[in-house]
Amino acid sequence: MTPEAPHIDWAGLSPIVALTAGGIVVLAAGLFRGAWLRRYGVPLLTLLTLGATAGLSIWQWGEDKAIVSRALAVDDLAMFLNLLFCAGAIAAVVLALRDSSPEESGHGEWHALLISSVLGMTVLASAQNLVVVFLGFELLSIPLYVMCATNLRRSKSLESGLKYLIVGSVGSATLLYGLAMIYGATGATGFEQIATALSSQAGLIDDPLTLTGIGLIVVGFCFKVSAAPFHQWTPDVYEGAPTPVTAFMAVATKAAAFGAFVRLFDVALIDAATNWSPLLAAVAVASIVVGNVGALTQTSLKRLLAWSSIAQAGYMLAAVVVADREGVEALAFYLAVYLVMNLAAFAVIVARERETPFGDDIRSLAGLGASRPALAWPMTLAMLSLAGIPATAGFIGKFTLIGATVDGGYTWLGVAIVVGSMLSLYYYLRVVAAMWLSDVPVPAAREPVPAIAGGSPELDAAADPEDGAGQDAGPDRPVSQAEATAVAVLFGAATLFFGILPSPLFDLARDAGSALGLL
Amino acid sequence: MDIGWYLAVSALVFCTGAGGVLVRRNPLVILLCLELMLNAANLALVAFARMHGSGDGQIFALIVMVVAACEVTIGLGVIVAIHRRRLPVDVDELRELRG
Amino acid sequence: MSPTTWGWLVLAFPLAGTVAVALGWRALPGKLPGWIGTGAVFASFACAVGALLSLEGREGEEAKTVVSTAYEYANTLGVDANLTILVDPLSVFMILVVSGVSALIHLYSVIYMWEDRGYARFFAYLNFFVFSMLLLVLAGNFFFLIVGWAFVGAASYFLISFWYRRRTATRAGIKAFVMNVIGDVGLVLGTYFVFKHVGTLDFVAAFEKVPDEFAHNDGDLVAGCILLLVGAVAKSAQIPLHTWLPDAMEGPTPVSALIHAATMVTAGVYLIARMHPLFEQAPAAADVGAILGCATLFVAATIALTQTDLKRVIAYSTMSQIGYMIMGVSAGAYAAGLFHLMTHAFFKALLFMAAGSVIAAMAGIQSLDRMGGFRRSMPFTFGCFVVGGLALAGVPPFSGFFSKDEILLLVGDRGGWHWILYAVGYVSAFLTAVYTFRMIFRAFLGDSVPEARELEGGHLHHAETPVNPMTGEEEDTEVGFPGPGHFIAEREWPMKTAMAILAVGATVLGVLQIPHVTHVIDSFLEPTFAGSEFAHHEPSDGLIAFGLVLGTVLALAGIALAWFLWVRRPELPARIRSGLRPLYELSFNKWWFDELYDRTVVRPSRAVGGFFRERFERWVIDGALVGGPTGAVRGGSAFVRAIQDGYLRVYAGLLVLGVVGVALYFLIVSA
Repeated sequence: MTPEAPHIDWAGLSPIVALTAGGIVVLAAGLFRGAWLRRYGVPLLTLLTLGATAGLSIWQWGEDKAIVSRALAVDDLAMFLNLLFCAGAIAAVVLALRDSSPEESGHGEWHALLISSVLGMTVLASAQNLVVVFLGFELLSIPLYVMCATNLRRSKSLESGLKYLIVGSVGSATLLYGLAMIYGATGATGFEQIATALSSQAGLIDDPLTLTGIGLIVVGFCFKVSAAPFHQWTPDVYEGAPTPVTAFMAVATKAAAFGAFVRLFDVALIDAATNWSPLLAAVAVASIVVGNVGALTQTSLKRLLAWSSIAQAGYMLAAVVVADREGVEALAFYLAVYLVMNLAAFAVIVARERETPFGDDIRSLAGLGASRPALAWPMTLAMLSLAGIPATAGFIGKFTLIGATVDGGYTWLGVAIVVGSMLSLYYYLRVVAAMWLSDVPVPAAREPVPAIAGGSPELDAAADPEDGAGQDAGPDRPVSQAEATAVAVLFGAATLFFGILPSPLFDLARDAGSALGLL
Repeated sequence: MDIGWYLAVSALVFCTGAGGVLVRRNPLVILLCLELMLNAANLALVAFARMHGSGDGQIFALIVMVVAACEVTIGLGVIVAIHRRRLPVDVDELRELRG
Repeated sequence: MSPTTWGWLVLAFPLAGTVAVALGWRALPGKLPGWIGTGAVFASFACAVGALLSLEGREGEEAKTVVSTAYEYANTLGVDANLTILVDPLSVFMILVVSGVSALIHLYSVIYMWEDRGYARFFAYLNFFVFSMLLLVLAGNFFFLIVGWAFVGAASYFLISFWYRRRTATRAGIKAFVMNVIGDVGLVLGTYFVFKHVGTLDFVAAFEKVPDEFAHNDGDLVAGCILLLVGAVAKSAQIPLHTWLPDAMEGPTPVSALIHAATMVTAGVYLIARMHPLFEQAPAAADVGAILGCATLFVAATIALTQTDLKRVIAYSTMSQIGYMIMGVSAGAYAAGLFHLMTHAFFKALLFMAAGSVIAAMAGIQSLDRMGGFRRSMPFTFGCFVVGGLALAGVPPFSGFFSKDEILLLVGDRGGWHWILYAVGYVSAFLTAVYTFRMIFRAFLGDSVPEARELEGGHLHHAETPVNPMTGEEEDTEVGFPGPGHFIAEREWPMKTAMAILAVGATVLGVLQIPHVTHVIDSFLEPTFAGSEFAHHEPSDGLIAFGLVLGTVLALAGIALAWFLWVRRPELPARIRSGLRPLYELSFNKWWFDELYDRTVVRPSRAVGGFFRERFERWVIDGALVGGPTGAVRGGSAFVRAIQDGYLRVYAGLLVLGVVGVALYFLIVSA
């Protein structure tokens, strides 16, 4: 008698299969000799893979099933997050087309790493099991550690890679230890079994094992979403990593981590909410304070966005604390909005890094309103949206977040969000003012290109003649940044669009929010 | 034997690892310490699997081993890259990024 | 096509006109912006007629209320703010009046504004106003009502301050805007009170729930209705929020005709009529409305008697006439109030256009003291002015006679203290006849002023240096000031056409609703007001006959008195003035409302503001409140960045510290 093969739901598994296959193909394609193939074929294949994944996720929209021995959930929340990951990764590929990091580390490898990171995210977003949570986290983090360091000739990039690796691994180990404790306390790794165990066995919620586990998991997750006081890797890594990688990391990692966050805390550990919700609320407030305060005096745009992302993580954590359907809806909506506005901002930074000698310094934006309105407008919209000004998507997002906290009985968290937003106006508007109110700075003739500059050889080479002759008055080099501009304009327009007509996105977020079956 | 002993050893190993990460400056040694932390978790997992009489913890531990190997490999790769850039292999010297 | 399709088209044309003119102002040559704007509004009027026919083609009362949602704007957190229009007899009636009168005023403006440097800007604003007003009356829920309400306020502000280099004009614009914002706040809060109970913003759904959700004169409902009334009072320039309207005459004359006479200021009347299910459940609030309307109609009529600025006289007459409408709709005479709204739109727009023509002949001067004798040189304008005046004074068979009498008839028929309103209404009707014909006699009869003689000689007067008619300051004719050219109806066919059509309307529209003869308005509006408790009430024949006779007699007596005072014995008014000094002062100084507000609101708030700026701001805000948090934030920022010192081991250390912190927390909690 032959053993019966387990049933495999290929349809539900299809996004993961597509990513795996695509990753292998891309890695292999990178081995071919043709420069054209490596330079354009590989990104094209990557885009195809990501597009296929997004398409398959849309195809699976509306499903609600558990696959692979109930270890992965295929539901609207997972598919919604899949779409976000793909959007972030596609933007990163486009922004990296002219970047030096794939050049230095190998196109095939760079893109395969990107795909495997997306794979980790999709796994994490549908995790229904402690093992899968850990696996997903590592699968998304390990490629990112490498990608941060792919600017092999720039010491900052290497430094950021190593820092991320070490601090990240400490975070992972902490998380793992916490997962082990939960397993020890409940005897199960599946979320449903854990929830059953916690609700059925008296005293288990306050068991020291459970408490230790919850505490360690909170630390591990907060580390991954870069919430204070576990945020310190964020500014350094954001600044050091190649900017397209930063853009991807900022938007997609956050979405994936928050996806797992709500699944684990709002479903599996929901009965222990009395234990973890004050803790998470405290972390949320700490993040809002630390992030906004830290961003105030930054001059590096990437660091500024890093600190702002810490604050935004605090806002989103508030939705996890609320732990009801409205909270998850608001979170899903905000994650999408967060992606849109951050990608617009990062696209502008990428373009300006290559056009000016100032790198990602705020000076690179000076006079942008007059010289490059196509970049200045998306950046302006992104900043206003991050600050939560009406008629932008960020306003609607924050409005729903605050609404969710108030309805969930955490009005004071809503107040914290409002206060944090008021603080944040200062530094977001500083960026806007730099674009519209200041003149184009003319670098001194003999000033060497600062070390902060993009660091790519092409840029350094292009900078040389200007040093000697100074034939160009303006610092803008005639480098076409069509693809970066296109990304900026696209996401800038989306910021405005969803700010004025939010309901298409609302509908998606509502479906995603309903997936967990919360009240 | 009581499960508490296993947990005590596991916790001790975890703390040793964490302490090592905090005090050592050589990234290679830090990677070793990270291994210690992961393996402490493995020990706990296997002990719990034994206690509950289920295989889940053991499978978990196996997967963690694979992941740990990946992590170390990546770490070594980054350290080599840093070395080739003639940068100091000392985490305290790597502080160009700050503020 | 369904009525709502027509309704969307009604909205689409003026919006398209706004966008086209606003974006193409540099490219559009000559009078093209004017013609585009005019064409858009005429198209809108055609669609309004389409909506009328399509609605009339439907059978049954239920079928006459049609709702269409184009877009679900925000359907979350219990709010249902959809882009919905409601097409029913009331809204169709309103869009017909608004788009019809607007179209004619656009036509007039094509010439009247021609030499102004802001020609295209003017039409962009004017089309935007029409769009906003149509949005207001077509809105199918509170949300878009508020949006339209705020839009017309903004459009009114733009147009009052159209000559933005005139200090008086910008001040008037600000005054109007502030007063209107008070109304907006009232409207929003009132909506909130209603929404809190019925749980929906949709009109149809909300009104259905009103009888179940609210008791008779329920406290919340009365509060909500009073707040809605604040909105209506501010927008319709009723006491006590009326002082902006006379100042709004700083805008160009077509603006006064369109916004501050025919359409926008009647929005309050529309609001009360639309909200009648609420007001009928809260009669206390409706009574407040009726009393305010009655007070306004009397006060404004007395003020109009002594004003010397031609446009301001008409402005006060507008306030007074809207007072009749507000009183009417608040007292349940919906169809009558709306009927008066329509006839008033015709004759008041006509009066303003004729006044604009006279002002043009005077090269911008508006003072009645300087006018006289234009009868011969401007026969057409004179004729139009007289037609408008007869309609306003309520002389049969002109339109105003029937509509005003209908309101007073139904108000009186309510009995009780409503008889006071009835009496005041007729007294004011007499005053109306007096001030209207005072204006006509002083401008057109008597000796010809130099400008009139110049015009008789075939030459239109042009001032050497243009001056601000209010302050006498010298001006130039660049953008931001009125243009150099002036245009009178006698010479320009578009102005003549617009005025002629309005004159015909002002003359004959009364036949739509003659007691015992015709009931066009009543039966048309029937489906909207079918649920009203005042719907099927018939006053007695005696009362009807008494009212018609009394109205006629008072109007003719008023005209006769005006003729006696200002034509026959022109020296008499000065003697009366000195004999009745206190009354004259009261009227001439507009009952000191401006001074009252200045003393009680403006100056105290300025003093408080000054105190806060000088003392509180410096010591408390800058010192303690701002200084404290700012310092804390600065210190925090420095601290956070100091920890971020680049040492990897510190980062890991903080992480471990966090773990310890969490462990401690759980220890404390579980212990």
